[in-house]
Amino acid sequence: MPYVFCDLEKCTGCRTCELVCSGVHEKVFNPKKSRIRVVRREPAIDVALTCRQCADPPCMRACPSGAIRRTKAGVVEVDVARCIGCSLCVEACPFGAISIIEGKAAKCDLCGGDPACVRLCMPEALRLIEPGQVAAEKRLAIAQAVRPRSLLR
Amino acid sequence: MEVVFAYKGYTGKYLRVDLTRGKIVELPLREEWARYYIGGSGMAARILYDEVTPEVEPLSPENLLIFATGPITGTVYPPSGRYCVVTRSPLTGIWGESHSGGYFGPELKYAGYDLVVIQGRSEKPVYLAIDEGRAELRSAEGLWGRTTAETTDMIEEEFGDPSVRVACIGKAGERLVKFACIINDRARAAGRTGVGAVMGSKRLKAVAVRGSGDIEVADFDRTWELAEEAHERYTRGEWGKASHDALYRFGTPGLVAWENEIGRLPTKGHSTGVFEHADDIGPDRFEREFIVHRRSCMNCRIQCKKVSHVRSGPYAGTLSEGPEYETIVALGSNCLVSDFPAIMRANLLCNLHGMDTISCGGTVSFAMECFERGVLTEQELGMPLRWGDGDAMVRLVEMVASREGIGDVLAEGVREAARRIGKGSERWAIHVKGLEVSGQDGRAHQSVGLTHAISVIGGAHLRALSSLDELDYRETIAKRYGEEKAKDIGDRLSTKYKGMLIKDVEDLYAVVDSLITCKYGTMWPPAFYFDDYARILPAVTGIREFSRVEEVRAAAERIVNLKRAFNARLGLDRKDDTLPERFLKEPMPDGPAKGMVVDLKPMLDEYYAERGWDIETGLQYRETLEGLGLVDVAEDLAKYGRVAFKKRP
Repeated sequence: MPYVFCDLEKCTGCRTCELVCSGVHEKVFNPKKSRIRVVRREPAIDVALTCRQCADPPCMRACPSGAIRRTKAGVVEVDVARCIGCSLCVEACPFGAISIIEGKAAKCDLCGGDPACVRLCMPEALRLIEPGQVAAEKRLAIAQAVRPRSLLR
Repeated sequence: MEVVFAYKGYTGKYLRVDLTRGKIVELPLREEWARYYIGGSGMAARILYDEVTPEVEPLSPENLLIFATGPITGTVYPPSGRYCVVTRSPLTGIWGESHSGGYFGPELKYAGYDLVVIQGRSEKPVYLAIDEGRAELRSAEGLWGRTTAETTDMIEEEFGDPSVRVACIGKAGERLVKFACIINDRARAAGRTGVGAVMGSKRLKAVAVRGSGDIEVADFDRTWELAEEAHERYTRGEWGKASHDALYRFGTPGLVAWENEIGRLPTKGHSTGVFEHADDIGPDRFEREFIVHRRSCMNCRIQCKKVSHVRSGPYAGTLSEGPEYETIVALGSNCLVSDFPAIMRANLLCNLHGMDTISCGGTVSFAMECFERGVLTEQELGMPLRWGDGDAMVRLVEMVASREGIGDVLAEGVREAARRIGKGSERWAIHVKGLEVSGQDGRAHQSVGLTHAISVIGGAHLRALSSLDELDYRETIAKRYGEEKAKDIGDRLSTKYKGMLIKDVEDLYAVVDSLITCKYGTMWPPAFYFDDYARILPAVTGIREFSRVEEVRAAAERIVNLKRAFNARLGLDRKDDTLPERFLKEPMPDGPAKGMVVDLKPMLDEYYAERGWDIETGLQYRETLEGLGLVDVAEDLAKYGRVAFKKRP
């Protein structure tokens, strides 16, 4: 299942993703109504965090009203009609990726497959990718750091 | 009952804070302010003109300190992270205005307010906390004397929330250093014209804001479409690539190499435009040795902010955002300093103590010239102060912030320092209207000579700097002003049409400073123009009149004229629209502009004519003001005898 991945090396903390997300989902501009949130730590860390579309979502298990479900496409979604706004999912999520917005749980729904935050991320820190691809890129980075012996002679 | 503001984009409310009485009032925004002055510095201009009359001294309780945002601030239209501070400047005595990025401006709107208008003077140090539409004054006795970083930490702790946004002063503002600035988000500065000293005089240590309110726009779909289109323009194609390769990669320090190449890098007290050791303070070294992280202001696509870290040597451990191009010039080349880590340390000190790096560097370079010419002695300075001595520069920055020794005189800015020091030192006090000149040189870029001379705040670039001729953007020039003028306008060393050019750019920036958005995108790359703002303004605000380019231009001219009138009422006119003799009489000694001086007169004449101002006096014609709807201003200026008449009685 793909999720919105944030490259720590690239995120600049511009919070465009927050404004874009609140716009797409709420038709207003308000970072506190965003499903993706940027955290800054001084002196030099910026990171955007959102739902990781867990394989075994703690939020889904915690929900007492069965409002959090996985869609056929694999996206973990909130059924606002069933949501009672109890915040148990907020407590259960290890990443702080769920907020209560106007009495209902709100989380990343991947914008139906083409997340606006990803599209409008200037430094290209955000990408919609599969965990397998993240791993493949890590392997590649390690492989590139290894210098073949034959070249060292 | 909640009154709904007629236009969107705005919160529709503002705060009046009276520090003398400890009273805070929430007021509805006035519709005509939005309709005629857009927001930001335009709106603030209307308030300052009406209330800060000539008898109100800059550091008196009666002076106003206005924090202002605009209708774009905090929306998705990029870049939207800016705010401004407007006041009567204690450094120059005239119109004071300074802009800053970061996150503070948008947060003020999320907290519920477009503007905060502060007056009076608190008996004891206080800070203003604006939290979710509730505002109160809190004791700042524990914060007084603290650096801007410590102040921010302590307020975050008091709120129990690191996402509260803090704009504050350091000890320079407390001690009324005349070029003290306001630092927000730890490293962003409303730098120029001494706004921090006004804040200090009011015993206001900080303004802290936090909010979760919505910003609604009039036409969401249209705003969204324009924001996506702006994103494309900022990030793709010719401008996008240029911006990425320059500002994203190096930040403003990228300019050091280019300005040196065109002979416009202020060096050794603006005596020349070429610095032999420019590479030592240039972008390649900056990236290779010092950049550890790239940052941005809120909702920006340019992303010019860099975090730098000095790893070794006497300034090891210096870790801060910046330094910016202007800082590298002011504390580097203009002091003949090539010790990059020393510049970074001085930059950090300016941020921690809250001082404008441009004016502070200008002051240090003035003092260096005083020493080298034997006007200030080692005894008077407490140390030798040779050109290029980075360690002495760092020491002097500390002394100025603390007003220690000679620092007490220098803290007044170069104009007043030269008056006190005497001995002919005013010849190398490089300022316009009392404001230390920013990092350009009109001899190598004639139009910038006019920019500095006419800037409403004094020797600054951001009210009217043109990159069209700086980098000869021939196609853009032809599109805006006509093919037949393109060659002359594109020539940096020609004065032809530059009065027209700078008038046009100044108008454009009046809109930018009122929306508020950033000069990146307009100043450079010159990708956004009046037609773009005639699209986004009505989409965000619903003010239909602004869909006509002529209306946006009229608002721009109105704002420029109102600020000019503020200065005219204080007695300023053509005699003040001038430059230090160094630019007018001393030919550029080296580089591509060798032998040039600024040929100011023809540019100034053309500029006044384009503006509809009297060429002889530089005063505004009554008809010009009335044509812009500033009838009351024309009447007021007439009372002071500061308006020109086309037909003399």
